[in-house]
Order: sequence, then C-alpha cells, then structure tokens
Amino acid sequence: MKKGTFTFFVGPSVVIMLALMTLPLLASIVLGLHYITFRNLDEPLWVGFQNYQEVLDDPEFWDSLEFTLIFIAVAVPLRILLGLLFALLLDQIRRFRGVFVAAALVPFVMTPVVGTLIFRDMFDRGGPYWYWMQQLFDYRLFMNSTTVPLLIIFHSIWTATPFAMIVLFAGLQTLPQESLEAARVDGASWLRQLWHVAIPHLRSLFIFIGLISIMDSYRVFDSVFVLTQQNPIYDAETIMFYNFQVALSFGRLGKANAMSVLTVLGIFVVLIPFLVMTYREQTEES
Amino acid sequence: MTRTDNPIARIIIYIALALFTVYNILPFTWTIMNSVKLPKDANARIPRFIFSPTGDNYAELWLNMSPQDFAPYGLLLVIVIFALFVIGFSANRIPAPNSVVYIGCIFAGVAVALALPEIVNTAEFYDYLINSVIVTMGTLCISLTVGALAGYGLARFRHVVSVYILVIALAFRSLPSLALVLPFYYLGQLSGLYDTHILLILCLVATNQPFTIWMLRSFFMEIPREIEEAAMIDGASRLKSFISVIVPIMWPGIITTGLFTLLLAYNDFLLARILTQINWTLPVGIAQWTGGEDPGHVTLAAAASVSTTLPILIVIIFFQKYLIRGLASGAVKG
Repeated sequence: MKKGTFTFFVGPSVVIMLALMTLPLLASIVLGLHYITFRNLDEPLWVGFQNYQEVLDDPEFWDSLEFTLIFIAVAVPLRILLGLLFALLLDQIRRFRGVFVAAALVPFVMTPVVGTLIFRDMFDRGGPYWYWMQQLFDYRLFMNSTTVPLLIIFHSIWTATPFAMIVLFAGLQTLPQESLEAARVDGASWLRQLWHVAIPHLRSLFIFIGLISIMDSYRVFDSVFVLTQQNPIYDAETIMFYNFQVALSFGRLGKANAMSVLTVLGIFVVLIPFLVMTYREQTEES
Repeated sequence: MTRTDNPIARIIIYIALALFTVYNILPFTWTIMNSVKLPKDANARIPRFIFSPTGDNYAELWLNMSPQDFAPYGLLLVIVIFALFVIGFSANRIPAPNSVVYIGCIFAGVAVALALPEIVNTAEFYDYLINSVIVTMGTLCISLTVGALAGYGLARFRHVVSVYILVIALAFRSLPSLALVLPFYYLGQLSGLYDTHILLILCLVATNQPFTIWMLRSFFMEIPREIEEAAMIDGASRLKSFISVIVPIMWPGIITTGLFTLLLAYNDFLLARILTQINWTLPVGIAQWTGGEDPGHVTLAAAASVSTTLPILIVIIFFQKYLIRGLASGAVKG
C-alpha cells in the first residue's frame, strides 16, 4: 500500500482520535491548572498546581483510591477463577451448552445501570435474595457501609464472570492435542492435565482477562452510582465516582480535571509494560 | 481435556451449570415479574412469585393517556410495523434493488417513530428511547465507517507508523472516559453544544475508535492480500476494490465489531449523564428511579428496566454467535 492511500484510509480515524482524545487530554492538563466552577466558566482563574495539591491532601480521594484498589484485588481474581471453573465445567459437557452460554450473556450485555438496579432489588427488603438469606441463615441484610461495598464487588463479579468464562472456554478448545494425548497415554489424571497442559496454555488469556478486568475495575462507575444512590454514608466511592462528584456535584471542574490527569498517570504506570510488549509483538509481525 | 464418564460426576456438573444459569437469569426474571405486578404485590414482605398480572406499569411508563384511548392507535402501529417487516423480508420479490427496499423500510420505521408523539400523547420515557436510538445509530454509522477504513489501512500498510498508531490507540482504549469527557463538558458549556445529540455521538465515536480499529484490523488481517490484488490488477482502485471486494466478505467481522459498538453506545451512562441536561438517553432516564420511597417506584422501575433491556437482549439472541466469536477471537489476538 502506498503512503498516500494509507493516509486516505487511516486519516479520518486519526483525525477523530487527535481532535477528540488527544486534544481533550491536553485540555484537561490545562484546565487542571485553573480554578473553575460553574460561575466562572468563561474566565478560568490560573492557580498553578494548587488543584493537584488539594487533590493529594484530600482524604476522600485516598479513601476512594483505597476502595478502588480493594475492589480490583478482590474482584479480578474471583472473576478469573469463577470463569475458569465454569469454562472447565462447560468443557465437560456437550448438551445444553448453548443454553448455558446464552443465559450467561444476560448479565454481561445488560445495560449496567439497569443490571445494578435489578441486582439491588434482589437484595432489598422483600427481594428474593433478602428473603432467602433471612429464612436460611436468619440474616437480615441492611444497606450499610459494609454491605454496600460488598454488593458493588459482587455485582461486578456477576456481570464479568461470563466474559472470562467465554474467553477461557474458547481457549480450552484450542489446547494442543498432542500434549493432551501424551498426558493421557502416561495416565495423567484430569487434574494433572489441567495443571501441566491447560493452565500453561491459557496463560496469555489470563493476562489478557486480567488486564481488561483491571482497566474496567479502575473505571467502575455505574454500579456505584446506583447502589449508593449518591449517598456518602455507604463509604463506597470509587475513584471514578468521586471524580464525577467533584466535577458535577461540587462543581469544581478544575480540581476534577487535575484528578483525572492523576488517574491517567496512575493507569499508565500499570500499562507501560503491556504497551512495550505490544509494540515489540507488532514490529516483529510486520 | 478428558471428559469424565462417571455418571455421578456428570450429574453434579449439570446441576452446577444449572445453578449458574439460575444465578445469571433470576434477577432479570424477577424484574419481569415485578414489571407486571401491582405495587401492593411488588412491595410485599415475602416475595410473591404468583400474582395476578397487570399492564398498568407499562402504560404509565410509555403513555400520558389512558390505554383505552391508545388502543386504536396501538393496533394501527402494530399493523404498520408488521407491514414493514413483511416488505423487508420479501425484498427479493419487489422490483427494486434489495438495499433500496431495506433502507426504505428503515426510514419508514424511523419516520413512524418520530411522528408518533405528534399523534398520541407519549410519556417522557418515549423521548429517552428516541434519544437512545438516535445516539446509538449515529455512533454505529460513523464509528464503523471510519473504523473500517482505518482498520483496513492498518492491516495492509506494514510500516512502523501503523504500529505507533496501534499502540497509541491501545493506550487510549484503557483511559477512563471521564478524563476525556470533562473537557468536553467544559467546551460544550462554552460553545452551546452541550445537551445535543451530536456532541454525545462524537464523544462516543472517539472513545470507541481505538477498540474498533483494533478489532476490525484483526479481522482484515485474516483476509489474504491476493483477493484485492486480483481486483486491482483488473484496474480497480484501492477504494473501489475495498468496497466491492473486501467489505462483502468482511460482513461477519463488521457485524461483530458493530455489536460491541452497539452495546457500548446503548449502555453508556457516564458520558450521557454528563453531556445531557434534558435530552436523556434510556440509562440516564432510568437512573432517576434509583432512590425514593414511593411504592410505585419499584414496579415502574421494573417496567423501565425491562423496556430498556429487551431490545438489546433480542439483538444479542439473534447475533449471539458473532458476539461469542468476537469475544473469543479478540482475546486470542488482543
């Protein structure tokens, strides 16, 4: 392909990404250095790094970061483990596979706001889960600062496990048959096949799901919005949600922009090894 | 891996998967039930699985008039929609190109949907639906057109520039959209574009673009170069051979990518919440029922939830195989 043709094909996309992603990012760096509220939208006040100072001194920012990190540490491994478990179970059967997979897609494709609303109804007073918990364990669930964060984490596992399951199930179908055959001839049990053949083969998929999950967990917002009902007493703000509140509820646009610049920097620290890896892979390929 | 022959183990596996299925669909099933309950049934202390159903919640959600008054119009609407489907499915027998028939049907459907509020008294929820449809369709069209061109270019131009673009796109893909939307919000407020469809569409296209080009590129990579080279030897230009030779065999890949774009645009809450004031989309409209003590809220929110989710579930059931292929293939190459 000639350079001119390439520009013609790729140009529109690059222009869109430059204009609508790169420029906003630069803009948020500039906006982060200003004091802006809804009252002085037209004339931002230059304050230098004061916003950054304020964010770093804000205990609520650190609280929200803490909850986000706990969320990632609990939810991501559980999603992968549960996904692997059900992928292995699906691999064992032939009949009704389609039905099981179709049902698993329901929480995954459902609009997150709706999904969370539905999920909360199940645990609310009079909802089936609430009732069964009370009947079976004599436990009355109240929405408080312990249960709401747990429900947010549980909800994310509910919606994301099917994704891990489908990816890992697809991976299980591409296992190297020779190694499996060799293992079988040697009389290796199912568990040993799993440990010595399947898990190593699925390694890159675990990394892939892990990365996607970490990125998604980092920006979890919708479920927090619905489950906390924007009420601070549940102590369940994630970093994205707190950032949103600073911008729209408190009207501190400058500070909110400074905060998103910090979060972007935080993400890049995690991301850079992966980007370097992709760069190497792609240059080798071409 | 080796399948177990032990009948007890097999029964346990089936039971585990059946329980997993119940866990996946019970909440939505419960909501469907709630959406046809009277408030007194929905707010009962002990969950009621048996009750006498009612359509009042849907009528209250969609209409500002009594269902009796709406009935004749409703019947007419059903007939019109049915007729459009019949015309669409018998496109082969109509003496006009198929694409003209399909586009005609889609336009007629859109015209009916837009004209409906002029004839009957629809409630706000209908406006949210219209907003959602406009935003989703707009995002889908722009995103796929731009993305397919770029994905093809990136798959064929083996140069370090392509790698740069791809790696930067990957970095963009992992950015939280809030980082991008706050400057948009600010600019929208200043320029007066705030609360317009176009701003929301552009923002969704942009945040979607990195994912779209990566996915489409991986599909284009699977198509051998010889196919379009043959067309180009016959004198077709790059663009012409792309449109007439590559796109027709790429439909599965485009549908798969389109499905993910559709989900992202339709389900988006954060961007729509920030960039709209009254032109709400469905997820933003629904979020208003997240709190409150009004007993009617539960059933109304349930009807709204079902109304929002059903279209997407129907699309997914139709195209399930593409979605699963996308999840599986995107993963292997991603």
